[in-house]
Amino acid sequence: MRKFLRRFAVLTVVGVLVAALAASTAVAEAPAAKKAPKLSGSITVSAAASLTEVFAKMGADFQKLNKGTTIAFNYAASSALATQIQGGAPADVFASADGANTQKVVASGQVTADPIDFTANKLTIVVKKGNPKSVKSLADLPKLGVVSLCAAAVPCGKYATQMLAQDGVTIPTDKITLGQDVKTTLTAVQSGDADAALVYATDAKAAGTTITEVKIPASLNVLAVYPIAPIASSQNAKLADAWIAYVISPAGQKTLAQFGFLPVPTT
Amino acid sequence: MSLDATIKIHVGEFDLDARIVATDGETVAVIGPNGAGKTTLLRALAGLVPIDEGRILVDDDVVDDPTAGTYVVPERRSVGVVFQNYLLFPHLTALENVAFGLRSRHVSRGDARRRAAEWLDRVGLGDRARAKPRELSGGQQQRVALARALVIEPRLLLLDEPLAALDIGTRTELRRDLRTHLSSFRGARVLITHELLDAVALADRLVVLENGKVAQVGPVAEVSARPRSRYVADLVGVNLLRGTAMGHTVNLPTGGTIVTADEVHGDVCVAIHPHSVSLHRAAPEGSPRNVWRGTINGTDLLGDRARIHVNGPVPLVAEVTVAAVAELGLRDGVEVWAAVKATDISIYPT
Amino acid sequence: MPLIAVLLALVAVAFFVLPLIGLLQRAPWSDVWDDLSTPAARDAMKLSLVCSLWATGLSILFGVPLAYVLARAEFPGRSLVRALVVLPMVLPPVVGGVALLYAFSVNNGLVGGWLHDTFDIQLTFSTSGAVLAETFVAMPFLVITVEAGLRLMDRRYEDAAATLGANRWTVFRRVTLPLIGPSLFAGAALAWARALGEFGATLTFAGNIQGRTQTMPLAIYLLLESQQGTAIVLSLVLLAVSIIVLVALRDRWFGAVRES
Repeated sequence: MRKFLRRFAVLTVVGVLVAALAASTAVAEAPAAKKAPKLSGSITVSAAASLTEVFAKMGADFQKLNKGTTIAFNYAASSALATQIQGGAPADVFASADGANTQKVVASGQVTADPIDFTANKLTIVVKKGNPKSVKSLADLPKLGVVSLCAAAVPCGKYATQMLAQDGVTIPTDKITLGQDVKTTLTAVQSGDADAALVYATDAKAAGTTITEVKIPASLNVLAVYPIAPIASSQNAKLADAWIAYVISPAGQKTLAQFGFLPVPTT
Repeated sequence: MSLDATIKIHVGEFDLDARIVATDGETVAVIGPNGAGKTTLLRALAGLVPIDEGRILVDDDVVDDPTAGTYVVPERRSVGVVFQNYLLFPHLTALENVAFGLRSRHVSRGDARRRAAEWLDRVGLGDRARAKPRELSGGQQQRVALARALVIEPRLLLLDEPLAALDIGTRTELRRDLRTHLSSFRGARVLITHELLDAVALADRLVVLENGKVAQVGPVAEVSARPRSRYVADLVGVNLLRGTAMGHTVNLPTGGTIVTADEVHGDVCVAIHPHSVSLHRAAPEGSPRNVWRGTINGTDLLGDRARIHVNGPVPLVAEVTVAAVAELGLRDGVEVWAAVKATDISIYPT
Repeated sequence: MPLIAVLLALVAVAFFVLPLIGLLQRAPWSDVWDDLSTPAARDAMKLSLVCSLWATGLSILFGVPLAYVLARAEFPGRSLVRALVVLPMVLPPVVGGVALLYAFSVNNGLVGGWLHDTFDIQLTFSTSGAVLAETFVAMPFLVITVEAGLRLMDRRYEDAAATLGANRWTVFRRVTLPLIGPSLFAGAALAWARALGEFGATLTFAGNIQGRTQTMPLAIYLLLESQQGTAIVLSLVLLAVSIIVLVALRDRWFGAVRES
């Protein structure tokens, strides 16, 4: 008899506590619902390699503004990122260096929202510090020993191929070394024996004084337009959308410009 | 002298200090327990290990002399070696093995093969020229190894336990063959063995090596008849005692006394063959002057004979019939009287 | 046999088998020949064959004497030398590539600049560079295997040969080499397989130039995005080669590991 009474008492106490907890939560939430939704949690942003430096800065700024959030970045060639996302990699946002890769993941259903073009870039020639081989333009590239280009499947590689074709410059295949993303392509000049590399202007800027930049006139250049989109299967759609909103906001655009990115063409 | 070697080698904790001489046509057997230094001695003669002190002369040519700074490498010493386990090159045929030494001396291929084939015939393996060593029996391999060493016409022949790896039947047969082949070799030969029978059959002189030092040297018959070392005594199967002789008695450190037929003085070895020892349960009467009390502490049965170990002032091994063992009740711990005739005792200076 | 051991073992086997099955079932079997006939594939296969054979040859030429010295000579610092030789086996290959770069790069390498100025030799971004990178990672396999063989060999055969009148070179040529034959073969096969599969060091040091330094592993890596079919087919070729080498060596390699 005593045992039964004791058990009953324990159950009652537990039950009351649970009810109180539930009630308090409901009560606590009600006033909160009246203020603006607070961002929390973490997301993974898969971004083109050329966005390495600028997104690092923007991520730090965003996290300062929204305390309690964490943005993790995954940088690689956009083509590799697209393959990862198609393979089910848990990314929340995809920032690509060209529309083709974004369209790939739209077509395969991982992205359902409309991608937004958020920035643009152009190509440039990067040579060894001091330009020892006196490279002045694209036409000088075929004369060099080894030229470093991005692989054909990578956006910067596609842009480079496009640009060289439209400008009538052909570099012999046995003089081209291919990099799997734009950063590796640049390293071949920075610390290796490649004489020149075709990379984005923003990469040249980020490399600073370790290399010398030889600009390509706009008439010969190509424009790379970068789309950004949230991944449908994201576990934190709210934060993902907030990040995208930040990137296209004036603050985000200002940071992009600081790093050498170009505004999205309006036409 | 075909071989005159004074060898001193220091290997770790072990010191080898031996002198060995042999004339052309003479076979010297080096006998001794394991670890005595026999292999080191052979390797020094072959030139595989340099000596620390001493001198080795082969046919009056100095091949190793540390003080003079002379050291002739094995490939130039013209010393033929038949190794224990033969060491026939496993990837070459019998013929190629025998021809190896000649080919290394730049003899033409054809000539080398011809001479090798001749030698293979001589050792009775002409039809096995194309066999690989693993296809040959132990005895056959030994013969190929011998042919391989002799075809190069060395100045000195060394044999390291040439019959050790063989079973008894093959060993007997090969001992005979070896004797025949050795007799036709004109140089000196050094034979390492731990089988007294090999030494008796093949050698002229015996060098007993114990603990790196020469314990005894002499003609084979003499060494076996008058062993001065425990090792040979055991090999020959003889009781060996040491003591001090004073006229017709010998005093042993174990306390016993031996009466001798001849008059002797000084430090002596006393050799008594086990079959000269008779055992009694009670003190015997009769002519034997040498009668000692003792206690049995070991019995070995060998067919229809038994070897009884007797402890006492004169420790001995006696050889009696198995019937006697049963009759006399000879067991461990039993007290017995051992008797030997003075004329059956061999005494000689140490 | 305890059940838990069997179960864990099965998991381990599945761990190794599943990726292979994954590769095999994705293979575009109907297009195999077409995929292998593309210029990129053909260049990659030819380059892989040439570079790996050169790397194996160099490994034998320099590796056998090194193995001999390590096995036979006593000198201070021998274990240090052996550790250095084994280092490329445990070093991440890309680190090896970076290290080679800092030694042989024309612009900031230790001897690269001198080689370029004096002999007009540039190893980076060249087929020779690819061979060098492959040799760097492959030679240790040969040295270790041959050294083990030399140690296990009965040296008394060499003594016997010496007493028969053979000088040191003849002993090495006619006795030592044939006796370590199996070890030498195994070491060469392992070195060749390793050279064939080398990626990180080649990519970093010799770059990725089609027809010059783009060996099969590099080609596969690049083609994975754009021509996946070709990439998979090339992977299968490498897989088949690896299996053949392992089967050819099964007794020798596992035996040598057991003995050493």
